[in-house]
Amino acid sequence: MQLKRPRAPLQLGLMAASCALLSHTARADGSDDGEQPLVLDTALLYYKENAGRVLTIEPVVSLKKDFGDLRVLDGTLVIDTLSGATPNGAIPSRAPQTFASPSSTSLTPKPGYKTTLYTIAPGDLPQDPHFKERRVGTDLDWSQPVGLDNSVSFGGHFSTEHDFDSAAAHAGLSHDFNDKNTTVSASVSEEYDRIHAHGGNPLAGSDYSVYEKESSQTKSVSGGLIGLTQVMRRNWLTELNYTLDRSQGYLTDPYRILSVLDALGNLTGYRYENRPDTRTRQSLYWVNKLALGPTVLDLSYRRGIDSWGIHSDTVDAHLRVDLGRGMYLEPHARWYRQGAADFYDLYLSAAGAAPAFMSADPRLAGFDASTLGLKFAVSWGRSGELNVRYEQYQQRPSAQSSSLPALAGLDLNPNLKANIVQLGWHMEF
Amino acid sequence: MWGSRRASDTPPARRARAALRVPLLFGALLFGLMPGAPGAAPREEALDLGALKGRVVYLDFWASWCAPCRESFPWMNRLQQQLGPQGLVVVAVNVDRERRDADRFIEAQEPRFRIVFDPEGLLAEKFSVRGMPTSFLIDRDGHVQLRHEGFRLADREGLAREVGRLVLGKPANGGSS
Amino acid sequence: MCILKPTRLAGAAVALLAIAGCSSLGVKPWQHEILARPEMALNASPIDAALDDHIYFSKEAASGGRSFGGGGCGCN
Repeated sequence: MQLKRPRAPLQLGLMAASCALLSHTARADGSDDGEQPLVLDTALLYYKENAGRVLTIEPVVSLKKDFGDLRVLDGTLVIDTLSGATPNGAIPSRAPQTFASPSSTSLTPKPGYKTTLYTIAPGDLPQDPHFKERRVGTDLDWSQPVGLDNSVSFGGHFSTEHDFDSAAAHAGLSHDFNDKNTTVSASVSEEYDRIHAHGGNPLAGSDYSVYEKESSQTKSVSGGLIGLTQVMRRNWLTELNYTLDRSQGYLTDPYRILSVLDALGNLTGYRYENRPDTRTRQSLYWVNKLALGPTVLDLSYRRGIDSWGIHSDTVDAHLRVDLGRGMYLEPHARWYRQGAADFYDLYLSAAGAAPAFMSADPRLAGFDASTLGLKFAVSWGRSGELNVRYEQYQQRPSAQSSSLPALAGLDLNPNLKANIVQLGWHMEF
Repeated sequence: MWGSRRASDTPPARRARAALRVPLLFGALLFGLMPGAPGAAPREEALDLGALKGRVVYLDFWASWCAPCRESFPWMNRLQQQLGPQGLVVVAVNVDRERRDADRFIEAQEPRFRIVFDPEGLLAEKFSVRGMPTSFLIDRDGHVQLRHEGFRLADREGLAREVGRLVLGKPANGGSS
Repeated sequence: MCILKPTRLAGAAVALLAIAGCSSLGVKPWQHEILARPEMALNASPIDAALDDHIYFSKEAASGGRSFGGGGCGCN
């Protein structure tokens, strides 16, 4: 029989000491074992449209902390200041047109009522020059692994501006398998919004001259996503996501109207727009990351359809070209196309009954759009990067003119052009 | 597979080793504390586990691009330093395709344990590595006692205990002291 | 094939998911050196992506589609 040798005191002491020592020790540089840096990402965006339209200045600050073992807390703050003119949905006319700014409580000056009017010159696109808005939004997200092959995440979002408040929450999980070559993920989100337009929400589809307003409205959006990520090759990663979301409630834009025209195209009045109170959207998004030496290509395609009849296609490409010494250049190209919503039209016809739903909002029109941009970045080690990017965005609507005599020669939905400049700073502390 | 007991495992040899243990321990600690000590961390192209029989081997598969490996290296340094004199050998197998990526990591981490280079992944394949990092605890007879995937802060204490137990707790196979 | 019908779109997504789940695709766990590079992450520039999404959400009818998960170094 073999007796177990009793442990010598030195050995016991050594074992205890080694266990204690190995579980936690401060590093030579003073930091704790496993202490991850605090990551700061901040940017300033400048967005300016042509023809006196929207100007946006948007600072963003994001802080991220890994509490060890990929348990990450991520917080973001965005401040969005918008000004400039925004189209009100009416089309240009041969005669001057006068409108009341949405914050007005009356179309015509009356005691006890606020009236801010603006007049549009003949041939010009009607847009409200008094548009000014400031939005503050915050996001907080938490993600952590669960076991060796899964991870879970959840978070919340809140934003507020003078006429719109939004609160949302989301939760998701993902599972790795196939030697971590394949990941499946699923997430759900819920959003609740309150719309209280300047001057009150107009009665949808009502006659503009009546100027009837009502109190605030709400809307909610429920969404789900399922995704699959697959490692294809050593240098190629691909992801496919399917998204489904359903909005219900007040989906109309409270500031948009439509011109009502007779058979010859003469203006007979205006109507507030009216959209359905439900909208179901689906999208299929496919993205690829491909490394060709130090260069990385990010190429994606998205197909979208919805219950309003809008179909869209998006192709987006970024090419990161490494310049050495921590610098890189990243050209960007995006091409987008959408079909018009079923109830979209440039204007309404005075003849016949008004349709159930109608909108002349350029965002629901058929158009194609393109973006061309370039980003330049300088980084030092792994801990810091400064970057600047310039982009140009153009939208070309498909329906821009009418054969009606009174509208001959008028550009009813002009092209949109925007210049975008962004400065960014990434820092790890 | 691991062959018969070597001459150095006979009772007189073990007694001699025991007598040398304390001064060796201090000597090893001294060596460990001196940076760039000669022969402190051999760099090899092949792994010969047969030659390491009689000692406990902590075999770790790592790469320069593996974030948790940055945490595991200082921990393995301490492991080697504390339990090396008791018969522990830490062997870290690198699977980087580019040798200079591995060299950069080594320069930053200053490991004082053996490094084996496996750029083709042959050893990783042989050991059926399924995640990075993966470590194996091999006992003095050459049998794999423990397989551990990943390197998390929460794992460290348990792992250290397992290693300590295997190195200090069980006597060398066969015979009495 | 007209992919416009909601059921067809969902069906195509499921079929692609099934095909992509093949275990013959992929790399060994020790071959993630390229995938582990930060620029190979699917959300490599989260601020740029978020700001772009915000611009296009304001100007276009379609939005979103992205999510993050998978690839990377495959560690832990």
